[in-house]
Amino acid sequence: MKPVFIRLKTAAKNTLGTLMMVMPMLLSVIGLMGLFKTLVTPEMIQSVFQGSVLSDTLIGTGVGAISVGQPFLSYAIGGELLDEGVSLYAVTAFILSFVTLGLIQLPLEWSLFGTRFTLLRNILSFIFALLISLATVSILGLIQ
Amino acid sequence: MSKKVQRKKAKGKSGLIMLSVVGCMYLLTFYFNPQAGKEALLVVLETIKMIAPILLVVFFLMALLNTFIDSKSISRHIGEQSGMRGWIIALVGGVLSHGPAYVWYPMLSDLRKHGARDGLVVAFFYTRSIKLPWLPLMISYFGLAFTVVLTVLVILSAWIQGMIVDKFTALAEE
Repeated sequence: MKPVFIRLKTAAKNTLGTLMMVMPMLLSVIGLMGLFKTLVTPEMIQSVFQGSVLSDTLIGTGVGAISVGQPFLSYAIGGELLDEGVSLYAVTAFILSFVTLGLIQLPLEWSLFGTRFTLLRNILSFIFALLISLATVSILGLIQ
Repeated sequence: MSKKVQRKKAKGKSGLIMLSVVGCMYLLTFYFNPQAGKEALLVVLETIKMIAPILLVVFFLMALLNTFIDSKSISRHIGEQSGMRGWIIALVGGVLSHGPAYVWYPMLSDLRKHGARDGLVVAFFYTRSIKLPWLPLMISYFGLAFTVVLTVLVILSAWIQGMIVDKFTALAEE
């Protein structure tokens, strides 16, 4: 077996190569996030909800999937939505898909993990955002 | 040219194409709304500043992983033979990992190539939605009961999703 230093040097070189290969896609994702955060305001997000529980839950999941930012932003928007009368189902789905789904990150995920993995993971995240929001509100209804 | 090299080249090319498209979008934004363009660029710089230290940690972890941990031990801890230990590593790792998910993509993809199970990678991704530093804020917005119920359900469903993915992977390999 080669000495540790040589193995470490080779591994560092390979890792740097991997990161450099990923870098254009990573920068693209960050660039898209910059545009989204600047051009799409929380008010625009709030305006798409319609008042129906079922459609708002689906809209919440979809809007969460295309939104980007720090998690606290989803809590703040979610809090505002609750104040405006949007259902807790929709708000839960929104804050969940905000962190588990990422439409803007999809190209990077696809290039590193492949089509099957990316599709399966995102479809499951979408379905589970709906299921968890349903379960959360039902359990809260039972215990409160 | 081997298939692996061809795939690597294709990935590099698609990244450059995507970067060019995003570059064009910035040019258009600057042309039509210079103020928005400037703000977007500032967001980009702030994001890079935020993720740079995490990216550095990921880089060192990947280098150490490739030096000291072979495919056999990856398989033992988070691969086919990992069992309950693999689930615990994935679920706890997801909760404790810091920063945006995409920063962890290269390392997770590397682990996957060395034999990490797809189900565990998916479980890791899902438990990343539990953000420990932000839990107090979530409690202040939605209450303690909501936060506890949601957190427990996220962990449970991360495990279920992982198992579903493992089943799909097994079916695809048959």
